[in-house]
This record gives sequence, C-alpha cells and structure tokens, in this order.
Amino acid sequence: MLSRVANSLYWLSRYLERAENLARLVEVNRYESLDSTDPNPWLPLLYTTCTEKIFRESKEQDVGMFISFSEDNPDSIRECVAHARENARMVRDQISEEIWRDLNRFHLFIRSEDAVELWQNQPETFHRRTIEFCMLLSGLIHATVLHDEGWHFMQIGKLIERADKTTRVLDMLAYYQGIAPRAKLASALKSCSAFNAFQAEYRSRISLDNAMSFLLFSASFPRSVRFCIQQLDYHLHAVSGSPIGSYTNEAERITGSTLAQLNFSSSSNILQVGYHDYIDSLQKQFNEIGQQVFDTYILLPLEIRSNTNSETRRRQNDHQRQQQQ
Amino acid sequence: MFSHTSRKTFPHYKCLHEHYANYNVASLSNKQRLIENTFLEEGITFTVYGDNQGTERIFPFDLIPRIIPQKEWQLIEEGLTQRLIALNLFLHDIYHEGQIIKDQVIPESVVKTAAHYRPEMQGVKVSRDIYIQICGTDLIRDDAGNYLCLEDNARCPSGVSYLLENREAMKRAFPNLYSQYRVKPVDNYPDLLLKTLQHLSPRQGHGPVCVLLTPGAYNSAYFEHTFLARKMGIEIVEGRDLIVLDAYVYMRTTKGLEQVDVIYRRLDDDFLDPLCFREDSMLGVSGLMEAYMKGNVALANAVGTGVADDKVIYAYVPEIIKYYLDQEPILQNVPTYLAWREKDRSYILSHLDSLVVKSANESGGYGMLMGPCATKKELQNFAKKIENEPRNFIAQPVISLSRHPTICEDLSIEGRHVDLRPFVLYGDSIEIISGGLTRVALNKDSLIVNSSQGGGSKDTWVLND
Repeated sequence: MLSRVANSLYWLSRYLERAENLARLVEVNRYESLDSTDPNPWLPLLYTTCTEKIFRESKEQDVGMFISFSEDNPDSIRECVAHARENARMVRDQISEEIWRDLNRFHLFIRSEDAVELWQNQPETFHRRTIEFCMLLSGLIHATVLHDEGWHFMQIGKLIERADKTTRVLDMLAYYQGIAPRAKLASALKSCSAFNAFQAEYRSRISLDNAMSFLLFSASFPRSVRFCIQQLDYHLHAVSGSPIGSYTNEAERITGSTLAQLNFSSSSNILQVGYHDYIDSLQKQFNEIGQQVFDTYILLPLEIRSNTNSETRRRQNDHQRQQQQ
Repeated sequence: MFSHTSRKTFPHYKCLHEHYANYNVASLSNKQRLIENTFLEEGITFTVYGDNQGTERIFPFDLIPRIIPQKEWQLIEEGLTQRLIALNLFLHDIYHEGQIIKDQVIPESVVKTAAHYRPEMQGVKVSRDIYIQICGTDLIRDDAGNYLCLEDNARCPSGVSYLLENREAMKRAFPNLYSQYRVKPVDNYPDLLLKTLQHLSPRQGHGPVCVLLTPGAYNSAYFEHTFLARKMGIEIVEGRDLIVLDAYVYMRTTKGLEQVDVIYRRLDDDFLDPLCFREDSMLGVSGLMEAYMKGNVALANAVGTGVADDKVIYAYVPEIIKYYLDQEPILQNVPTYLAWREKDRSYILSHLDSLVVKSANESGGYGMLMGPCATKKELQNFAKKIENEPRNFIAQPVISLSRHPTICEDLSIEGRHVDLRPFVLYGDSIEIISGGLTRVALNKDSLIVNSSQGGGSKDTWVLND
C-alpha cells in the first residue's frame, strides 16, 4: 500500500473520531450549561480541545459557532468532517462507494445553511445527527472494506484519537482537584458515552476515583484508555506481522509499555503521581505513538531519507500540525 | 435530431421524439434534479480554477441524448484511425530523421517553435514507437452535416469519466427508452485503457505495474483520475509517491519500494520532472525523464506529443496524412489561416470581424477572439497581438456548430450548439470507444462548449443497427 494512502486512511478515520467526540462533548456541555450559573460555561470546553488561543484570535464571537462551524478553528466539527472527506477524496479508489457517498453527503449537509439552522433551533438533533453519522461511517468501515492493511491503519488512527479524547475528558475532571461535583462526573462519563456502562459496573457509587478508574482501566468498556491501547497494540502488530508481546518498531514498543502500565495500575498509583501529571504523561505517549507510526510507515525508508529532505520535512510538519489539534 | 432543410425528424430519432413527447416539464425536471443530486453526492465533479473556494461543481448534464447511426459512426472511426496513425508517424519522424521537414512539407521553423516541442526527445526511442496512446479528438458538424476535426488533444485529453457516468445516469433514468434502441456499450473503456498501458511495459513477461500519475486532489480533473484508476484497478499516485533510483522508478509503500513500469500521466510535460523541465514543479518526480529516456519506464502519452496540438501544426494534418499514408483525409479540418504566412495574415487582419482567432497553444476556450461578437477595442488589441506574434495565431471561419435539442434553464427544449469528443486508444491496435462526450453550449447562441465556460454534456448513443 502506498505510504500516502496509509496516511490518508489513518487521518480519514482519525478526523471522523474527532468529530464524533467533539459533538458528544459539546452536546453534554450544552445541556449542562442550561442549568449553569457560570457566566462562561463553555470555557472548559475550549480548554479540553486546546482551542482557547485560536478562539481569542478568531473573528468568531460565539463559542458554539466556533466549535461547531468556524473555519478559523481547524478543529471545528465542520472542519473535521471536511478534513475527513478531503482524505477520503485522495483515496477514493481504496474505500467503498458507500463510505465515500455517505461521507460526502454529510460533508455537503454540514456545509449548508440547513446545518447551521438545525444547530440553532434544535442543537440536540444536530449533535445527535453528527454522532450517528460518524457511527454509520465507523460501521461502514467495518462492514464494507477488506480488513487488510489499510483497514488496520484506519483503526490505528481511530484508536489513538479515541484514547486521547478520553484522557482529555479526564483532564477536565482533574481541574476540580478531587472535589468534582456529582453532576460534573456524570457529564464526563456521558461525554464518553460511558454513563450506562459505568452504572452497570459501579451502580450508584459515583465518585471521582471510580469514574477515573473506569475511564482509564476498564478492560471491557470500548472507550476506556486501556481498552483502546490494547486494540491499538493488536492493530499495530497486524500491520507489521510481528507477534503480540514482542516489538519490531518504536510504535509497538511504546504501545506495549503503555499497555503494561495501564494493565497493572490502579487509582492509588494515580494519586501518587497526581491526576494531571498522570494524564499528561499518557497524552505524551499517545503523541509519541502517532509520531512513530508515521516515521515507520509514512516516511521514506531510512536509506533514502537523506535524498529528499524537503519532502520528508514537509510531511513531518504536516503530521505534527494535525496531531497537535 | 431534425433535418436542417426539411425540418423532419431523422428516422433514428423518431422513437426518442415520441418518448419525450410523453413527459411533461415537471417530470423531466424531476429526473434532471435527481441525476444532478446523484452526481453531487457521488462527487462526480470538477474544480473550477480562479475560484478561491476551489469549488467543486458538477458538469451540467442534459437529459436528451445524441444519437449517431452506425453508418455515420463508421466514417468517424475510419477518419480518427487514419488521423491517429498519421500523427504518430509524424511525431516519430520529427523526433528522429525529420524526413517531412527535409521534403519541405512542413517548415522546420514551425515544428521547432511549437510551444510543446521537446528537443530532449530528439532521437529517443519510445516504447513500441507509439507517441499518442490516448487521444481525444474534438469533432464538430458543419451546415452540410459533415464531421470536421477541430482539435486533436494529443496530450492529456479528459472527459472520458463523464462519458461513462452519463451513460450510467441515462440507463437509470430512461431504462425503457434505452432498451428500445440498440445502443453500443461503452463500459469496456477502462479494460481497453489498461491493455493499452500494459502493452507499453518495458518489463515484458513480468506482470507490469501500471500507475496513474495525478497532479493531486485539487486538480480540476481529479475525479476522473480516481475514477479511472479505480476502474482499472491500478494505483493512483502523486509525484511525491514516486522516487527515482539509478534511473528506475519506484513507488513508496508501507512495505518499502515497488518498481513501476508504466505511468499513465495526467500531468503536462512541463511538470513531469523538475530536473528536466520546470524547476519549480512540485508535482513531478526528480529523475523521471532520465528513467524514461533510458527506457526503464514508459509514459502514456509520450513526452512531446504537444507538438501535434499546436494549432499551426493542426493546419498541416491533411498534408501529414497524405505524406505518410498516401491517402485523402477522411475527416476534414476546419479551414485554417496561418498568421505567419504573409498572405493569410493580411486576409486575417482585413476580415477580423468575421473570423475566430485562436492562440496556437491555448486550450479550454481561452486566448481566443470571436470576431463577430467582439468590440472594436478587442479587435484592435487582437490585431496588434497578431502582428507582433504571427507564429502564435491562426484564424478560422466561424463554423456554426450543429445544434441539438437541449433542456434549457427555463425547462423549455431548444436547440443548443454541440460538439463531440470521441476517445481513441492506440495499443496493440487502435480502439475507439463507441460514443463520445457530446459537449453542449448551454447558453443560447453560445458556441463555446468548454466546461469551464458554461458548457454541459449529453450522453452519446452509437447504434448497433
């Protein structure tokens, strides 16, 4: 498979995952802000998505518009869908008709005035539709393409993004320094579609400790960090063909070590390090994994890297820019 | 559809005429909207340049197909085949012995000053000695119903994907009408194209690795590039996916490098290789020309075919046919005056307001003057340009293109000007896809059919009878 194609597939599904998480996060936040006395209920959201600075520099006054539609925000829902679609367009010959058609259709919708109108009048419907669309795409990716190398790259992109977003939600909790109100804990869980799953496991014992443990260490909840990294480990090995438990490149090594750490940690370990620092170090590891996947499969093979420095540099810059968002 | 003189419906259009009489305006416009929506949703679009949004538009599609009876088509096929053989012999000749120049059929100065003449290609052997593998000749019909050749498009002709998609759309929208006619299928094109490419492979015996080289997702014809690559089952690559090592071309894959044998390039010569042509090309591949000239990789079309697209060379095609094949041309040219010939030039300058003047090396309907519709100022400007650079201009009488019933914006049906672009492949043998892209000038009285300037297209049915 062409390196560029692998790269596009990776970003195609990573951007879809990003749009989905964003829509869920915004919806939970919006609903909660209806009862809020906080004059700036959207601030934590800008903080979570690392877009505070861009917002301050942007012409857009309305935070909601900024997060959902603004072109200034490279990470707005609309832009994420546009990026996903752009990547899909570059690999149209590699994906199924169904994926392309539905993605393009949603792209056309979300660019239209209808979308903005829907968002203004029935925000919940708008967000739900976005989430449903991303899930549809995820289903199509699962059910209409060969589960071969390209598919594994799509899963890798998705899982890194998902693990990263879960940690960001957790980071929002860390902000409350161990005294997060019950309502905040509930909305954090809902932001990861984890509320019902959490209740099934912990009943009503909702606490910061339990919520953290669940979102980080659950072995069976598909959005927990541990679950994502375990899956990621599998897909990385599927691409390289090396057996699980060993490694042939840096991406596999860091993933394996992160996984071991998650497998054998508990909330008391986190307390020793501090919530924020623990999460911060996880996020750094995810970035490093993303970088190493890129270095291993997308960049030129080592022996000719020196010949085409400009192209190598360009690709590297692109990659880092997108990853940081 | 209707006879120019008697106003009667041509027999091969009778069935269609009756069929459409059954539709009311609303149902037709419904069908049209449905098709246009499908095109948009499937991303069957082209990008308009100069539009800062990089907007993608669909190529407007007209529901009334053009029908060409078998006999008429046969003549077109013979004419195109003859033309393509002659042009290939011509290109081979000028890049080797230059016999046609020595025999004073064409002045050397004209050949060597053609904008797309490539001195680098002098003496280079191209795979199978074929220069133009894919040709998209533009034909028009004059008052008498004769097909005339307007342009040869010997570089990277585009539009074939619209032809194939239009057919799909018509079959979906008018299944009954379609089955009443015995229309020749067109869907074998991707297979034929792939065979044409494989035929060129320098590594015969080894399963040839063919790729399609695109300038990238922002190119106006990008949809077509992915469409063809997908249908042929070959990789679509950008310049940055390829690398040349020791004069062999490889693509960069997640498993390392893979050697490439044939490149169907949808990129002009200028951009192919920054080491050889434009240094600032970000789209090409450094070292590609070296690999090509050593015969380690084949390109389709060959480098340097643009000479044949020069409109001054075009004027010589009838003589080229006579010279190499000793035959009379089956398809005539549009009469052409060459500004660099003194006699022609004074004729052009004194009849400017009744001629179409074209730059020798522009395409897409740019750089031309429609004498009858031009203002005085425009005429003066052009006269000056012609005097300054006579080599770069030609003039032709205004040919009123034939018209075909077309659904207009207000949903009435009126005649609109059309042309026809058939696609010709030169591999093991010459194959012509049965049909072509009929382009239609949607604006009333307009003669310009280019998609970038308000043109649309129709499906073209060649009958089996």
